[in-house]
Amino acid sequence: MTVTDLQTLSSGDPDADPSDVDSDKAIAGKSPTRIALQRLRSDKVAVISASIIFFFVLLALFAPLIAKAWGVQPEGASASEFVLNGLPKIGPPLHGFIWSHPFGVDPNTGNDLFARWLYGARLSLGIALTTTILTTIIGITIGLLAGFSRGWLDRVLSFFIDFFLAFPFLLGALAITPMINRKFADDPDKLVWAQIGALIFVLTILGWMPMARLIRGQVLGLREREFVQSAEVIGVPTRQILFKELLPNMTAPIIIAVSLALPAFVAAEAGLSFLGIGITGAPSWGQTISDASNYYDTYPLYLWPSVLGVAILVLTLNLLGDSIRDAFDPKTRR
Amino acid sequence: MRLKKPIVSTGGALALVVLAACGGGSGDDGANAPEETFVEGGAAGEAIDPNREAPAPEIEGAKAGGTATVLSVNGLTTMDPTEAYYTNTGSILSSLVTRSLTQYVYDEEQKGMVLIPDIATDTGTSNDDYTEWTFTIRDGVKFEDGTPVTAEDVAYGIKRSMDRDTFPGGAAYSNDYFLDGDKYKGPYKSGENYKGVVVKGNKLTIKMERPFADMPYWGAFPAIGPIPKDSDPADYALHPMATGPYKFADYEPGESLTLVQNDQWDPATDPGRHQYIEQYDMKFTELSKQIDSTILADTGEGQTTLTFDNILSADYQKAKQEAGDRLVLGSSPCTYMWTPDYRTVPLKVRQAAAYAYPYQDVWTAAGEIIGVTRVPGTAILPPGIPGREDYNPLEVEPGQHDPEKSKALLKEAGFEPGEYELKFLFATDDPASVAGKDQLVTGLEAGGFKATPVASTVNEIPTLRADPNYRKINVRSWGWCSDWPSGGSWFQPLFGTGGSNNYSQLSEPAVDKEIKRIGTLPLDEQPAAWAALDQEIMTKYFPGPNTGYVGTAMLHGSKIAGMNNDDVFGMPTWKDMYITE
Repeated sequence: MTVTDLQTLSSGDPDADPSDVDSDKAIAGKSPTRIALQRLRSDKVAVISASIIFFFVLLALFAPLIAKAWGVQPEGASASEFVLNGLPKIGPPLHGFIWSHPFGVDPNTGNDLFARWLYGARLSLGIALTTTILTTIIGITIGLLAGFSRGWLDRVLSFFIDFFLAFPFLLGALAITPMINRKFADDPDKLVWAQIGALIFVLTILGWMPMARLIRGQVLGLREREFVQSAEVIGVPTRQILFKELLPNMTAPIIIAVSLALPAFVAAEAGLSFLGIGITGAPSWGQTISDASNYYDTYPLYLWPSVLGVAILVLTLNLLGDSIRDAFDPKTRR
Repeated sequence: MRLKKPIVSTGGALALVVLAACGGGSGDDGANAPEETFVEGGAAGEAIDPNREAPAPEIEGAKAGGTATVLSVNGLTTMDPTEAYYTNTGSILSSLVTRSLTQYVYDEEQKGMVLIPDIATDTGTSNDDYTEWTFTIRDGVKFEDGTPVTAEDVAYGIKRSMDRDTFPGGAAYSNDYFLDGDKYKGPYKSGENYKGVVVKGNKLTIKMERPFADMPYWGAFPAIGPIPKDSDPADYALHPMATGPYKFADYEPGESLTLVQNDQWDPATDPGRHQYIEQYDMKFTELSKQIDSTILADTGEGQTTLTFDNILSADYQKAKQEAGDRLVLGSSPCTYMWTPDYRTVPLKVRQAAAYAYPYQDVWTAAGEIIGVTRVPGTAILPPGIPGREDYNPLEVEPGQHDPEKSKALLKEAGFEPGEYELKFLFATDDPASVAGKDQLVTGLEAGGFKATPVASTVNEIPTLRADPNYRKINVRSWGWCSDWPSGGSWFQPLFGTGGSNNYSQLSEPAVDKEIKRIGTLPLDEQPAAWAALDQEIMTKYFPGPNTGYVGTAMLHGSKIAGMNNDDVFGMPTWKDMYITE
């Protein structure tokens, strides 16, 4: 029996407040997810954050179309047409705002920064999402296995979790990424994809452990519950117990962990690209921030859109994550 | 001479990966015209003053005292005088710390450097065919510990400069020209018996294996100066014995260097140096942006701070508006070229490439300040070399391109647009190289070429480029800096048959013959002859477009005075600097 069923039962529990019975609202069975969603809908912060994130996702999804509609391209500009001695010939900071290049142009290559920002959002969200999905799958699998299997397998898996947790993230990223990139250094077309692949790989390899630990802990608790034990007794296959009995009971912690991992990966991608070990061949926010840091005083518009992009995305994702946690946590009553 | 960055290079070729250098803003209304801020080096006037008297004349208004702070991105490589071969180490050592046979001083009228005697009483006398040079060593010169400097100490320094095993990074001219240069391996390996250097009293005679007309210039290197005999190479690099106005007080390799006044230095023996500033605090591995900000803010210590790094292009316009008088502009003796393979690419196509190359786009994308850190030009010899003349073998202004003309030339050569393929290297791990490559491809395609960039890395490009049989590319991008202001170090290595750095693969018997002939001319006739050869190569044979000279744009605080550009090094004129009240 799953918690969902228990919840349904408890809704009709005799010791429920009798006044509820008299109220206009019919008593309806609600799953924790539905309750959580209902709570989320009434949470202003969550709604605002979600709409901002949705807006970013739209921008990222339709980046090529928006750029085309605006008449701008992320690369291929003729440098001397737009730039003179380290500052753009058109638009800020020397001239006024122009609608054709709302974020200005790159003060070296002359490429349009609005188009690059859009493609940067695409890359940032794409990498963060892919990494989150991968770490979640790996984390859940290993967590379930470690938590449910008693004995040596648990010890081996726990050792790996601890081993990777002890591994310094930045050092690992600094060491691994160049090794992968070097292999493709003489093929520029493959290099961009190699860089993206390397970044996702590094973020995944060094990012799956918290999820695995969380799941393992949850499983250790649930494993002793009656419904799991009875399932074991009547001979339900282990795989079925893991994915049909245990996993659905961990929806809440998983959703919370995912919603909090996403912003961490957005920030990590930007951070690694800023350090020059992320994406260099394609527009990325971190790369732009790194390039623009020399211009913070002379050409602030170069720097700020990407900084704000990362900041707003990370902030809203975190706020939404917090709200989700509150919504799913039965102890919160608001 | 090597640039400030310690990059692996061979024979003085710039190891910088420069892709770019071409092309102008096509169809522009002139807004692209390079700014006329570049200061030409001492192309006019006498480059050598062989009998300059000591002491150096006082500078009007100069005051003694004060501490100057020097900031730079790159740490110093070795400071052993024998091995110092980068512009920063060479300039700091020979201007402030160590004395050599000859030296350069800044000439206000010529806005350039003049070669004058240093520890020798003149710039040397030679026999008729330049195979024997004699220098007379001054009396009264002392090491920082008070020991008098003798001709023997100079001879020991010269012998030390022959040791390529202990000092692999040093310049190899002693081995190239001095007697038994290939056999004698310096005092540590071969002992002190070397018949190439003869000392008689205070007279020092150097014997050559082959004619070496430029010996007075080689004599200005810190390697050709006095070094005490008991020096251990490892320790000596940390504290070279000072003979100049300043000595090492504290040196953390790669991090900082503090120089204080050397009380054993006697201005009466030195025709070039001054000792106004009390102390130099040099700090390295600073961030470019912070260096610019500190000096531009011009408050507190920033007022007495200077840098020999080029200003960031991001800060250039701000600096020009707010601190134009504190920005020292000048030239470095370096030229970049982009040469198609002379063996396979026909003349008309090489010329077409010069019209197609988008100079301004490539420079801009690579972060160069056009007219300041990258200067358009067509002559092979860069500004600052005596006798050099400007001329134009192309029908457009230097630094401008003309895709139509390129297409027309290609048609004359029998190629349709998109038919002739130019293949060149770029470094995927250098953003400036990648940005320049994109612009170059666009420009070449507009000019009717098929452009094929071949991906490589910063480390591999020098090796690949140097291999004449590397057929994946048919254009080579390279740069060359002269070790001294004379054409002598340019044409044989770059355009002579079998030249050590002949990237263009140009091989013409007429050119070889002329190079040989000029080498035997009297010294004062050589500059004009080199300049004529320069023009002949670029008009008659045209190995490829010049993709710009290298300029310097160095910032200093408002209390630093006397800082000009030393166009031999592209460094500050340390010898004349002082701090105002």
